[in-house]
Amino acid sequence: MMVRGRKHGVDEMIAYQESSRESTEPRAHLSSWLKLGSWTEGIKEMARMLIAILREIFDESAYARFLSLHRLESSISTYATFLREHEVEKVRRPRCC
Amino acid sequence: MHKLLRVLIWVAVAALGALAVSTVALHRGEQINAMWLVVAAFCSYALGYRFYSKFIAAKVLSLDPQRATPAERLDNGRDFVPTNKWVVFGHHFAAIAGPGPLVGPVLAAQFGYLPGTLWILAGSVLGGCVQDFVILLFSIRRDGKSLTEMAKEEIGRVGGAVAYISVISIVVILLGATALIVVNALKSSPWGTFTIAMTIPIALLMGLYLRRIRPGKVLETSLIGFVLVLVAIWGGQWVSQNAWTARAFTFTAPTLAILIIVYGFAASAMPVWLLLGPRDYLSTFVKLGTIAVLATGIVIFRPTLHMPALTSFIDGSGPVFAGKIFPFGFIIIACGAVSGFHSLISSGTTPKLIRRESEARMVGYGAMMAESLVAIMAMIAACVLQPGTYFAISSPAGIVGQAPEAAAATISSWGFPVTAAGMHSLAQAVGEQTLFNRTGGAPAFAVGMANIFSNSLGGQAVMALWYHFAIMFEALFILTILDAGTRVGRFMIQDALGHVWKPLGRTSWYPSILATSAMIVAAWGWFLWQGVKDPLGGINSLWPLFGISNQLLATVALCVATTIIIKMGKIRYVAVTLVPLAWLVSVTFTASWNKIFNPNPRIGFLAHAQQLAASNAPGHEVSRLIVNDRLDALVTGLLVSMVALILLQSLVEWARVLSGRKAPAVKEVPFVASRFATEEQG
Repeated sequence: MMVRGRKHGVDEMIAYQESSRESTEPRAHLSSWLKLGSWTEGIKEMARMLIAILREIFDESAYARFLSLHRLESSISTYATFLREHEVEKVRRPRCC
Repeated sequence: MHKLLRVLIWVAVAALGALAVSTVALHRGEQINAMWLVVAAFCSYALGYRFYSKFIAAKVLSLDPQRATPAERLDNGRDFVPTNKWVVFGHHFAAIAGPGPLVGPVLAAQFGYLPGTLWILAGSVLGGCVQDFVILLFSIRRDGKSLTEMAKEEIGRVGGAVAYISVISIVVILLGATALIVVNALKSSPWGTFTIAMTIPIALLMGLYLRRIRPGKVLETSLIGFVLVLVAIWGGQWVSQNAWTARAFTFTAPTLAILIIVYGFAASAMPVWLLLGPRDYLSTFVKLGTIAVLATGIVIFRPTLHMPALTSFIDGSGPVFAGKIFPFGFIIIACGAVSGFHSLISSGTTPKLIRRESEARMVGYGAMMAESLVAIMAMIAACVLQPGTYFAISSPAGIVGQAPEAAAATISSWGFPVTAAGMHSLAQAVGEQTLFNRTGGAPAFAVGMANIFSNSLGGQAVMALWYHFAIMFEALFILTILDAGTRVGRFMIQDALGHVWKPLGRTSWYPSILATSAMIVAAWGWFLWQGVKDPLGGINSLWPLFGISNQLLATVALCVATTIIIKMGKIRYVAVTLVPLAWLVSVTFTASWNKIFNPNPRIGFLAHAQQLAASNAPGHEVSRLIVNDRLDALVTGLLVSMVALILLQSLVEWARVLSGRKAPAVKEVPFVASRFATEEQG
């Protein structure tokens, strides 16, 4: 069963990751904001970066990569497959003290 | 002009840092503002990062941005993924931030705010950050190999075996010690117990929502879970006020310990997606949010520290834990300054995400600075309390007495006035029956945090909510670690047993899952049970044991790092890891010796066992306490002996390389040019 209306967010996420992969100079660089003089742009960029960080921490990016790698759309069954594939890796990951 | 400006800015940062550190260090007999600690921390981190980590990056490690990382070469979109450095930083920080930097500094506050603060700053800048950074870089240059693998390759087979045993020991002791913190925070607390109990159905609900209704929407699900947890905290007050429900959620420490052991076993055998996964997301969400809120609160409200800079307990007679400032102050702080456990993360997921070698500096060194800042905030939360209140909460009944009046009189006699009536009012303000003898650090941290916020936001009326939010935050965090740590330990045992009999190594074979889970739960459950039954509160013996094992793991990591640096032909810079290594060896070995052989029964396990045996007190309970003490001594002895072995093997390896009897070959993967670097130049 395909879940509609979710692909857009995933695509956006992948596009953002791709752009940050390609960009060799970090986009959220303080001095570049100062040079641009565009504080609103800087704040927007910071918010995007924060969301990207949270998506990585909360495995949303890993799911997006999984969908992209296997050319799948998000659905209950694909998410179940993703969870199965990532289960061992997730539980073996040490949690720090 | 620009260069001059930069020089002037760094001179100003250094001057401000010096002013802040001297204010923290030299003010005696008068209270100082917490902002001095924050300023001292920021300036130390800024200078450490700008100059020391840059020196290490350039001279010692020779970071090469032209060299492709495993994330680039082995990019498979799954384990190896070149990721933006800020994203890796956040991911790494979320993985290394645990309850240690919150609990350790709160316990170490019994010495006053000065020793702990100085060690957190110096230890992290010169030790902890360096360890995380170099291990991360060495793992990157070995395709993301783990610390155990690197120890085996660079030092020898003994190194690998010792690293393995150290890791499993630290996991077991950590789980026992942190479970005890939850027990001590929740005993006789219907509000807190209800809130934590509710996180189980909330996590199950999140698991089902995430899997069946909104697949993949983890952030959205975590937000819903967080709102439900806040509702549970709010609802907890009604539970504690109703006689029937209050009775139903009021448990003694032994009952709570049994419930936690049963929970730990059941949770580790359940499907990951149903409980561990969502609980992990929820606790990470709450953890990051709370750290951000606490940092903001300290900066906005700028609380005053009431704890003196130094207390008389530096002589080793402290009620929270026994032992002199050296070595126990350094052992107790643990993860806030140096954490051996971080080397597992730095040689785990993180090296597989780093896009450019040059980014290892920010991620490895920088994330540990952030962790150290969390420790500074915990120190502030403990020290904003009136010292009498802090000691009333954190001292065990075995030291200050069971009755409130007796405890208040004992603590006041130390020069820290406190009254039973005042403590009763405080307990009522936070919705508890009593705050006396709540050892473990979590309640003191929670009262401190509630104090910081309630003085400005909502006043006394919301103090109970802040307190229970902080308790929920720590307990949720720890219960997730219990579940995850039990699984990590289970996999390690299965890996080892698989060599003996193949089916035992199969992670999907249920008899093996149940047997190995039971082994791990029994191991940490044993530590928890002895802590619960300990008249000195348990933390006095368990937290130092945890600190010793953690710092011993850091010793192993620094042995590996020093060996690699020597083999790289960088002997002239070996002090970068050798000095923290020497310090950790002196601290951990002294602490271990004291924990085993010190004649003071509050410090030495064997002396305590001897005291119990000499008391001729009858009963099964006393014999069990004696066995516990002897086993603790044995565990400490085994750990330190193994680390001595790896140290010895490292020394032999260094001597062979330096004398020319062995070629100084490092096991790095060959250089491959980075596509990212080529694109940048193009």
